[in-house]
Amino acid sequence: MPHADVVVIGAGLSGLTAATRLAEAGAVVTLVAKGHARTHWGSGGLDIAAPHAARTPADGVARLAALDHPYSYLAPCVAPSVAWMMERLAAAGLPYAGTLDTPIRRVPTAIGGTRRVAIVPQAQSAALRPWGRDEVLVVAGIAGYKDFWPLAIADSLAREAVWHGADRPAAVVGVSVELRGLGDRHNLNAMHLARRFDEGALRADDIAAIARAVERAAEGRPGRVALPAVFGLAAHAETWAALRAQLPLEPFEVPLVPPSVPGIRLWRVLRDRIRAAGGRVQLGEFVHAVRVEDGRVTAVEMEAATRTHAIRTEALVLATGGLSGGGLRATDDGRIVEPVLGLHVEAVEQDAWLVRDGLDPAGHPVEAAGVRADPDLRPLGADHRVSHANVHVVGGLLADQRSIRERCGDGVAIASGWRAARGLASDATRSPIDCEMADSARTEL
Amino acid sequence: MAVPHTVDVLVIGGGATGAGVLRDLARRGMTSLLVDREDFATGTSGRYHGLLHSGGRYVGKDKVAARECIEENRVLRRIAPASIEDTGGYFVATPDDPDDYVEAFADNCNQSGVDCDEVRVADLLAREPAINPGIRRAFRVPDGSIEPWGLIEAMVADARARGSDALTYHKVIGMEVAGGRIETVTVRDERTGSVSRVWPKFVVSAAGAWAGQIAALANVKVEMTPGKGTMLVYNYRVTDAVINRCHRSSDGDIMVPIHSVSILGTTDIKVPDPDDYDITRAEIRRLVDEGEKLFPSLREMRILRAYAGVRPLYQAPADTVAGAGNRSISRAHAILDHADQGVDNFVSIVGGKMTTHRLMAEQTVDAVAQKLGNTTACTTADEVLPGMEPGHHYWVGHRLADHEAEGGGDADLLCECELVTRRMAEAYLDTHWPCSIDDVRRGTRVGMGPCQGAFCTFRVAGLVAERLDAHTKATGRPAPGTEPGTPEEVGHAPGSGSLHAAIADRALTAFMRERAKGVRPIASGRQLQELMMTNLVFVDVLGVESLSTASALVFEDEEAVDAAR
Repeated sequence: MPHADVVVIGAGLSGLTAATRLAEAGAVVTLVAKGHARTHWGSGGLDIAAPHAARTPADGVARLAALDHPYSYLAPCVAPSVAWMMERLAAAGLPYAGTLDTPIRRVPTAIGGTRRVAIVPQAQSAALRPWGRDEVLVVAGIAGYKDFWPLAIADSLAREAVWHGADRPAAVVGVSVELRGLGDRHNLNAMHLARRFDEGALRADDIAAIARAVERAAEGRPGRVALPAVFGLAAHAETWAALRAQLPLEPFEVPLVPPSVPGIRLWRVLRDRIRAAGGRVQLGEFVHAVRVEDGRVTAVEMEAATRTHAIRTEALVLATGGLSGGGLRATDDGRIVEPVLGLHVEAVEQDAWLVRDGLDPAGHPVEAAGVRADPDLRPLGADHRVSHANVHVVGGLLADQRSIRERCGDGVAIASGWRAARGLASDATRSPIDCEMADSARTEL
Repeated sequence: MAVPHTVDVLVIGGGATGAGVLRDLARRGMTSLLVDREDFATGTSGRYHGLLHSGGRYVGKDKVAARECIEENRVLRRIAPASIEDTGGYFVATPDDPDDYVEAFADNCNQSGVDCDEVRVADLLAREPAINPGIRRAFRVPDGSIEPWGLIEAMVADARARGSDALTYHKVIGMEVAGGRIETVTVRDERTGSVSRVWPKFVVSAAGAWAGQIAALANVKVEMTPGKGTMLVYNYRVTDAVINRCHRSSDGDIMVPIHSVSILGTTDIKVPDPDDYDITRAEIRRLVDEGEKLFPSLREMRILRAYAGVRPLYQAPADTVAGAGNRSISRAHAILDHADQGVDNFVSIVGGKMTTHRLMAEQTVDAVAQKLGNTTACTTADEVLPGMEPGHHYWVGHRLADHEAEGGGDADLLCECELVTRRMAEAYLDTHWPCSIDDVRRGTRVGMGPCQGAFCTFRVAGLVAERLDAHTKATGRPAPGTEPGTPEEVGHAPGSGSLHAAIADRALTAFMRERAKGVRPIASGRQLQELMMTNLVFVDVLGVESLSTASALVFEDEEAVDAAR
């Protein structure tokens, strides 16, 4: 039976963070997951904490840390773990802009609304700068691509109300750009377009066509260009550099409905980094049983083509996500269960799961369901005691966060994945791993 | 579109009955205007199980209603073929159904004129394998399914071709009664907030469950007892034919296949307010417990959402029915002449059902015509509705056939669930321009499939925006009704943004709201997971909540709605 120091279940940001840090520390780590996760349907940005009224991510973390929230024990890890993550992304050619002290600002969305962000990929960052009084926003789409409609987006963004009091461009215009050879292609998704920019054969022509259309739409005014987030995966850096060099106005990418190209760029960087450090990443693995002896996980069993296979392990990082990721399941008889280990789940009564108004700013109470953990992220049973000594619960599975409304999902994922790895890696390698924690954090943890 | 000052008849309510009344009036030469506070069919007409009754459900308790149903069933198949799928229907006797009802069923059908043939149980089970194999007997009847949007649109088109008109998002907010007549009716455009007055010769309220609220504006009392019916949408065709239980109609005893999904109906619970009701998990349990007797594996099937409509039930005091005239009006519907309460030019049509809407309209217009001295005969049963081909029923495979004809896998799909291609949506825009995304949805079924509009609503908004832009470039002027709004019209954006954007907001935010409402009582398993995932995409990536407060639409403003009541 193969053996690992640590098995990580789940390929979202929390699992990737934990596996990266463990692999870098020299632990034998295997990440298994049934498939892709939130990276592939999110925005690609890092939402650390933007509850209503928060001015900066740090302010948001402080506000949430005062509540029953994972940040009440993870807050000291946020700054070092986010810095750790951004360093790795930048080193791989995917730099992010913004810090925990960057003001949270409203940026345009692909349906002509706005969303509140602070830390985003470099390609999205031009949207974060305050708008000058004379600046025009050109929304440029690609004809034939059906998930980004520049005229409707511009029409909507021209309204002061969608900016909710934030400064906004003086004018918004939409323009649709015809790219060579796309006229006959149907049902294009963002990945098709990203691969086209990766291949490079038509890149220069495409960028020139976009530049001409933007030039005409801008009519000589200063401003910026909103573009669908499709500008390359593997060749994103050079595609983006070429685009910036050639467009008459500064461009920024707007995240789209899934598949998320910015999120897939992020996923690829972390996957490659785990592999480069000697870790394994195995998708398509359905965990169907976990062996537990004396409150400790000893092996993880998965389905394979014709049989089951198992990995013996010293520890388990459970990064299976919340309700949206499948790490929690709602049963017909009104319970919310954790299907891998049957961990104790904290949740409101079924009658209170959902509110009537899907746009209620407070969100659905069931979003806060999850597994409670001690400060070492070990799961707590109904008796408030650690139920599995060598299991660490990270990311969306942790109880008491409403990640959609609090916009804290990425911050909790990174901080908890990073924190779990820290303890485990030192166990696994019997040498303290390099830890960039602040002194204050060190004493608290 | 401007509100005309004078009309022969003002029809209130854009459901099937109101549209039927409008069409009938127009065909008899009475130029009329229909107004609805929202879109067509947003009330009960758009929120029922979709059954075209054979009458079989009534043969045991109301033979008049049964006879009306079968007669109108035949009429609608003739005049509205494209809105009907000829699914056929069966009444099946499960082990739980009483013997005496089953024994008498064929005879009862016979007496009401409902075609009924007993079929071999084994043959039906071969055709419909989801049905309980323990059923004892099965009877075939001419049930079908009927889709309201195309039907209503065709009726309105027929009326428009004869000089009448219909205005959606126009809410009646006041009536001035003087000298025993409604003198004027005040109407507010819910998209722009502008208020107009109409001087009608006659007013017909076809407001269904809301008839009491409309009548109150003229100080007339109409006691409605709205009955909430809850239905469950399953995410595929559980059966190809309508399946009913052979017993006195009750909860959870019918499955209707509609396009690519199936509807399990229904409950019946009195609610005080037709705009304010909840769907409870107890109702869902009851529906599934009962439905399981028809379909034993029902619990393993995926429920897409729950929804409810309110039946426009009217409990007639004996004297009112007598006052309604000598026609053989069944208990199913009633025409209330408000002359008995001192308003001479006002009737309400209450009760009834989709299948008999044309007959209800005919009887209503008969009453109006008599008062206005119009002696032209009703012709609504005679002619096929505009845009429909005689004898050509809707067929579940037609979208796929159209899609294949456009190149199959390479066709440009705007709506993957309902297989609506860009070309189909553009063809609709070509023939209906200027129109809104609501019109496109009704006309093409965009957003009515399993994703319920999550990934296609903004595409239609985008397509309409392109059309608006092309219109402006070609004519130098915005399309009529879509001019850039004034500050009051489009919220707080002086001189920018169009009404289109506000309508798109409403469609996108309504999706989020309806979705939560529809999933709330059934939330478990995959369905809750999907709700959470769409939340993530719509809130985190698309910022949908930033639109909800940007919209100026008055009906989003609950305080204003309450104040208007």
